[in-house]
Amino acid sequence: MAIRVNPKLIDELEVYGAEDVQNCYHCGNCSAVCPFSENPYIFPRRPMRNLQMGLEDKLKGSLEPWLCYYCGECSEECPRGAEPGETMMSLRRWLTAKYDFSGISRLFYRSGKIELLAVIGAALLTALGFVLWAVLRGGSIYSYDGPNAFLPAESIHIFDWVLAGVLLVLLLTNCTRMWWFTMGRDKTLNASVGLYLKKLYALPLHFITQKRYAKCEKKRPWAVHLVLMLSYLIMLVLIMFFLAGMSASTIDWRLHVFGYIATVGLLGTTIFALRGRIKKSEPLYAHSHETDWIFLILLIVVAFTGILQHILHRAGLDAAANLVYIIHLMGVVPMLALEVPFSKWSHLAYRPLGMYFSLVRADAVRRVPEEAAQPVIVTQRVVG
Amino acid sequence: MRTGVFIVQGWEAGPEGINLHSVESYAANLPSVETVRNLGVRPKLDPDTLSDEIKKGALDRIVIAGDSPGFFKPVFTKAMALAGGDPDEVRLASFRQHGGSGMGTPRAESVVACAVLGVPFPLAARPGTTATRPGTLIIGAGVAGIQAALEIADAGKQVYLVERQATIGGHMAMFDKTFPTLDCAACILTPKMVAVGQHEMIELMTYCEVEDISGSPGNYKVRVRKKARHVDIESCVACNACTESCPRKAPSEFDNGIALRKSIFIPFPQAVPNAYVLDEASCLYFETNGEKCGVCAKKCPKQCVDLAQKDEIVEREVGNIIMAIGYDVYDATKIERYGYGVLPNVLTALEFERMTNASGPTGGKIVTKTRRQNKRTKEDEWVLDPDGPPPKSVAIIHCVGSRDAQHNAYCSRVCCMYSLKFAHLVKEKLPDATCYEFYIDMRAFGKGYEEFAERIVAEGTFVVRGRTARITQVDGQMVIKGEDIVSDRMIDSPVDMAILAVGLVPAKGSERIAQMLGVGRDADGWFSELDYNSDPTDTERGGVFVAGACQAPKDIPDTVAQASAVAAGVLKSVNTGRGLDSRAELSLSDIEARARSLART
Repeated sequence: MAIRVNPKLIDELEVYGAEDVQNCYHCGNCSAVCPFSENPYIFPRRPMRNLQMGLEDKLKGSLEPWLCYYCGECSEECPRGAEPGETMMSLRRWLTAKYDFSGISRLFYRSGKIELLAVIGAALLTALGFVLWAVLRGGSIYSYDGPNAFLPAESIHIFDWVLAGVLLVLLLTNCTRMWWFTMGRDKTLNASVGLYLKKLYALPLHFITQKRYAKCEKKRPWAVHLVLMLSYLIMLVLIMFFLAGMSASTIDWRLHVFGYIATVGLLGTTIFALRGRIKKSEPLYAHSHETDWIFLILLIVVAFTGILQHILHRAGLDAAANLVYIIHLMGVVPMLALEVPFSKWSHLAYRPLGMYFSLVRADAVRRVPEEAAQPVIVTQRVVG
Repeated sequence: MRTGVFIVQGWEAGPEGINLHSVESYAANLPSVETVRNLGVRPKLDPDTLSDEIKKGALDRIVIAGDSPGFFKPVFTKAMALAGGDPDEVRLASFRQHGGSGMGTPRAESVVACAVLGVPFPLAARPGTTATRPGTLIIGAGVAGIQAALEIADAGKQVYLVERQATIGGHMAMFDKTFPTLDCAACILTPKMVAVGQHEMIELMTYCEVEDISGSPGNYKVRVRKKARHVDIESCVACNACTESCPRKAPSEFDNGIALRKSIFIPFPQAVPNAYVLDEASCLYFETNGEKCGVCAKKCPKQCVDLAQKDEIVEREVGNIIMAIGYDVYDATKIERYGYGVLPNVLTALEFERMTNASGPTGGKIVTKTRRQNKRTKEDEWVLDPDGPPPKSVAIIHCVGSRDAQHNAYCSRVCCMYSLKFAHLVKEKLPDATCYEFYIDMRAFGKGYEEFAERIVAEGTFVVRGRTARITQVDGQMVIKGEDIVSDRMIDSPVDMAILAVGLVPAKGSERIAQMLGVGRDADGWFSELDYNSDPTDTERGGVFVAGACQAPKDIPDTVAQASAVAAGVLKSVNTGRGLDSRAELSLSDIEARARSLART
């Protein structure tokens, strides 16, 4: 099969953050220091080579970027300052854009301004929608819960489930595309359904424990990320299943203790990450793409307004609590609706899937028997 | 002529020590200059817009000024042709070629002035001549110093050869074999060393250091400190009685610390002068201020040990000075991931060189260190025992401290070849051992080098593309992790010995010598030559020359060639009695005035 080369690929990736790929002279130092680089998934040097050569199709079907957790050791020890860690990060952004069928992701990653505008637009629409709806149905701004509540928990609950359904459909579509690029279209693979089922354990395992991240020499980024993820998971469960209990007047400690733990986890880790990105304290915080900032700020706003409305409600300031609730929703809706299917947050699905697929793929690679080289026969007319 | 000056920078940092704003305003004031433009760092230039600019200014000469302006010449030539001008009128003003960054802003300005006036810089900046004394001082008696000394002395001229160590020979005397011919290094060098020692026109000053240099080109006064050797060179017959009786030991400099020597010792059996030396730093007599020991003086059958000897300063007057101080090797402890200094069987190249040398501490046997208890301290330590177990597998890691932005960005030039030589020596002495070479790019650039590299591969050494990143110890076994780039897989090789092909760095003390002589050094610390291409042995200072690896990393053939070339330059001035003055002292106005008068004719 002919291999199509895209000579502009390296320039394209520059927009996604990979600026120093050309510096690489292929000493293999990065692959050797990486704790994840094992046969047959060797990185970051190989993807960097593919990038330099413009092998777009090969990169589109590669799982390596999802196996990297960006501990940054490769970048620290790179003799040429080629930033292999940041290149892997940029490849993840680029792949996210490639997996997304709608093209919205590509738009966001190529221009942080467009993403910012989309976030603001979605936030304003959310505010308008909820306020209109609350006013039209006769809710009182001075009432946080009860029959006359401004934003009654039951209705928000239904809205949550509808949004979750839509997002799930979008994300699953993109995941299917990811499967097709990395597994489905590869004819050399011999992956049976049985093999897929056999390795299925990897999906929840990596999602919940992120135990591969713990293999990095530096343990702190793993701990921070795990706390952030688990806090979010707890919050998600609480909101999707116990929203009414959460916003009720009486505190049910069996429920709320989880809420408080998660809030502390969320605020602590996001502020740590913000501080890190401002001070560039760790390699993974050294290069911040515009999309990283938007995602992080949304996370902080949502966590902060979430706990603030709870405090205000406890203090009896229901009107203020309702106001903060609206702001909270203005953060939550764009964060979920835009970040999960189209931008940085989509890695919640792609990364565990990448690890799952890599396990399947390693077993399924069919050894193609090497064909004996055939001499090229050129027919020549006999003259005379 | 209507001239346009374009300043371009090749690197972010810009040319060191040069004020580009000053150069800009200076260029703008030159008579024929119409426009001066600073294009910034590595600009992306378009011939069409440039040609429009040329047409608009009606320019008929372009000067590209910067640290490496040659990169941008093609685009300017094209633009000039598009604008209908003469492409030959695109001229370069390279700061780097004419004096480098060490010479400051006035030099950069004079380079620009010459280019604007259309006069080659070396022609305009030619210093006058001055009366030159016949004697020559050579600092450093490695192979470069020895070669230059013999060339000059054989022509019947006086040479003063100063060497810091107790013997001449430098690094080459430590080597076992030379690449690519696998000649015995000692067989080439020792006859030359003996010739130097016996030559009537060479005054050999070993265990000496240059203290101070004063005077002007052609007439230098040199003060040399003769360190107290405590052994009379003339009467010592190298009978070894003093060494046998000496109670103290210290790591041997000549064996790179892998073996011990006594406090009174001879560096190696073929040393020139063939006489012993007493090292005050490790001597018991000097430690106790003469209260204890002193047994060497008593045992010496010829009474040539003089413990009361003091340092002495001698003065010599010379016309020319040759710097040939060589190099040091990169300190491998700076790269922690290779475990040098922690893991017992990680060696640097020079340490392995001594181990595999027949006159070395193991008698040329390649062995791994053995663990043994020190009887005095009751602690286990690693000992190099000639009867120790030979390694079953040896890894040689290239580019240690070289071609690395975090250490030295430059290529040290010799490491690829000496590493291949090591692989051959390992295979020759231990045919059953597995040998790996981990490299980035194989730089086999000289005559017969590529063939040598191919021969090593044919001998069964695994030449692996991919510099390894880390040496670890797993259950007492050293393991090297790396990527085999050509066969596209990760490898974990268990090895018994790892040799680090450390790069070359400027010798200790080169900064002091550069200051003493008023010679520039480049950003990496190597001595700057006058002109990279056409005057590789001269320096900015009149009567001061440079030879060998102190100018830039070099292998033996190149070093010897440069040493002979330097002798030609020295002999020219000694024979005519007149040598060149310093170019460094030519002022901007001198060069500019001369360039103007040349431009007129």
